[in-house]
Amino acid sequence: MGVRADALGRRSDRVVASGSGGGRRRLDPLPYALFVPSLALILLINLYPFASGFVYSLRDGSLLKAGDFVGLANYAALWRMPDVRYALQFSALFAVCNVIGSYVVGLGLALLLNKDVPGRGFFRVALLLPWIIPSIVSIVSWRWMIADQNGLFNQALGLVGLGPIYFLGSGDTAIFSVIMIKIWRSFPFMMVSCLAALQSIDRDLYEAAEIDGAGRWQSFRDITLPQIAGISVVLWILMTIWSVNDFETPWLLTQGGPSNATENLIVLAYKYTFTRNDVGLGSAIAFLSMLILMVLALVLLRRQEADER
Amino acid sequence: MATRGRGGMDRRTLVKGAAALGASGLAGRRFGGRARAQDAVALEFWDMVWGPPEYIDTGGRLVTQFNEEHPGIAAEYRSTPWANWYQTFTTAIGAGTAPDVSTGAAYQSVQFYDQGAVAAVDDIVAEWESSGTLADFLPGTVERLRFDDHQIALPWAIDIRVLYYRRDLLEEAGVEAPTTWEEFAAAAEAVSGDERYGYVVSGGENGGVHHMLSFFANNAGGLFTPERQLNLMDERNVEALQFFADLVAAGAVHPASAGYSGDDALKAFAQGDAAMILSNPGLEGRLPEIADQIGLMAPLSGPHGDKGTVSWVNNVMLYEQSEAKEEAKQFLMWWSDHLLPLWTEGRTTQIPVRQSIADDPFFDDNENLRFIIENWVPVGQGTGSKAEGIFPVLNEVEGEGVLQTLAQDLLQGRAVAESMQKAEERLAQIVG
Repeated sequence: MGVRADALGRRSDRVVASGSGGGRRRLDPLPYALFVPSLALILLINLYPFASGFVYSLRDGSLLKAGDFVGLANYAALWRMPDVRYALQFSALFAVCNVIGSYVVGLGLALLLNKDVPGRGFFRVALLLPWIIPSIVSIVSWRWMIADQNGLFNQALGLVGLGPIYFLGSGDTAIFSVIMIKIWRSFPFMMVSCLAALQSIDRDLYEAAEIDGAGRWQSFRDITLPQIAGISVVLWILMTIWSVNDFETPWLLTQGGPSNATENLIVLAYKYTFTRNDVGLGSAIAFLSMLILMVLALVLLRRQEADER
Repeated sequence: MATRGRGGMDRRTLVKGAAALGASGLAGRRFGGRARAQDAVALEFWDMVWGPPEYIDTGGRLVTQFNEEHPGIAAEYRSTPWANWYQTFTTAIGAGTAPDVSTGAAYQSVQFYDQGAVAAVDDIVAEWESSGTLADFLPGTVERLRFDDHQIALPWAIDIRVLYYRRDLLEEAGVEAPTTWEEFAAAAEAVSGDERYGYVVSGGENGGVHHMLSFFANNAGGLFTPERQLNLMDERNVEALQFFADLVAAGAVHPASAGYSGDDALKAFAQGDAAMILSNPGLEGRLPEIADQIGLMAPLSGPHGDKGTVSWVNNVMLYEQSEAKEEAKQFLMWWSDHLLPLWTEGRTTQIPVRQSIADDPFFDDNENLRFIIENWVPVGQGTGSKAEGIFPVLNEVEGEGVLQTLAQDLLQGRAVAESMQKAEERLAQIVG
């Protein structure tokens, strides 16, 4: 203790004030110096791409030429562009359906796995596979399974006298397929998170409810849901961010087609930048999606602060 | 890219080096050919992947041969994959680490020339003209690569779309290989039924675009007027797309086509789910298990008796950033004169642009390739038809996605006039 007290005392001497000459504070530069490399790294990794991306969005450049400064013209143009409006709508639909779908499936499976069912350990691992498998592998496999009449899905439908359904051959079925596959990829995360939340609920609450004559539904509604509400809100927000931000699911499955039906903001930003060579508009679209994500992130932070309080 | 005598490395060099490292990470296999001599002028040659793995090995061997014949030059062969090719080249050019010479897609040279990244090669063509070499090129191939009165690249091969059919499926349906649009529609409808279709298109990728461009050319239509004015709504184009829409409405086009990739469409053709397909040459080599069932059609006659298809002249070009342009031009000319092994050993499925190569006995054994050279190549037209040559906007017109969306609209049964109008508006924005 003596050593620690001595060390603390000396540190305190350095940080607060020294000398007898009038109480002027002298800051110790060491902590700030130690902080500088991390700050520089963060600025390099995050701020530089962010700032240069923003500058691109204010120019009418291509991948080869920086172009002229056009102010906010690219942002103004976004509101007149029907493909941007559609991409906004599709991004919202994609996110809402995925959040609801993956949460319902994830919570349902978590409730099942929270019980003492045979093979629980196996199912816990097996159900994580859609989350673990690399997206390129899983999405391309899905494509093979649903693209034509010889795919696994249509073979199965054929056994019961249905189909074939060309899931990627029309806009409506492609939208349905992209959303379903995203839900399939997302539910394990929901399941694991909900399972962790369920396991933290005090068992005594259920026993007390049972003694009071509460049924399963009542226990679920009045104990389970309120107890996991906090983590659920965080999960919804995180999944919304990941859905709005998702490039690989629509791109690998449909490249945004057919007829742009599955084109979300990120796919559109990619297309404008890399296939249409319009870096200004592509960057503006990317910034628009980033603004949406920042609002969601702010909501998430507020929510966490509220929980901590 | 001359030899460097300084051992140190300044910041600019470091940044360039890092970018080059990144670009080389994007690029594929490299062949040193031989160790560079200290005093040799170094050249970087980036060659796209134009064939199976044998192609890359052959390209590497050719560069080694060049180095042996030119002791003062040390060319390095780098095979460059097609995935993200545009980003690969723009990143390299932006970082100042462009190759000296590269092959590329049909409009790569004109797009980069317009942005000041590719150098004109007028002097090579002038030299070829005086030596008589120019006469060896198939008609129109050199001219196709002119822009603003400059030769902006040299042709090395032709890519083209031709129609194939399944002999067994047409035979089963009791129809002959079509020779006119009318017969094509009749054959497609005769085959269709019981989850089998007359025609399949890879609408999820560029197959739908290629179909449209091919049938525009087949009907003496085209995206542009001879003055390079956008002309999508040309009545011959409308007629061509109405023909396509009628096929879709008749249930003669595979209903999954709007979402099909090129591989999906080939699979449907190989499995016998579709009887006809528009493809690049060499389909029988890609589907060896049904090679004996694959037939090659003659160019169809359109409703007004016209013939045509879409074709592209692939380039080999010189970059402005090259610090050894004279040596690079030497390499370009040598490469053009020594292309034959790319077919005989490298097994590329491109069509040669030089008559001397096309006349090689190697092609006598390949009946289909010979037929394509003699019958399809002469009626091939570029994306910019009816305008002459190539111009920068063609890359965006073809790659932007608006034509792909138009094809997907039609494959989903949407109205021709409405879909074309929508596409015309978007194309007008691109063309400006």
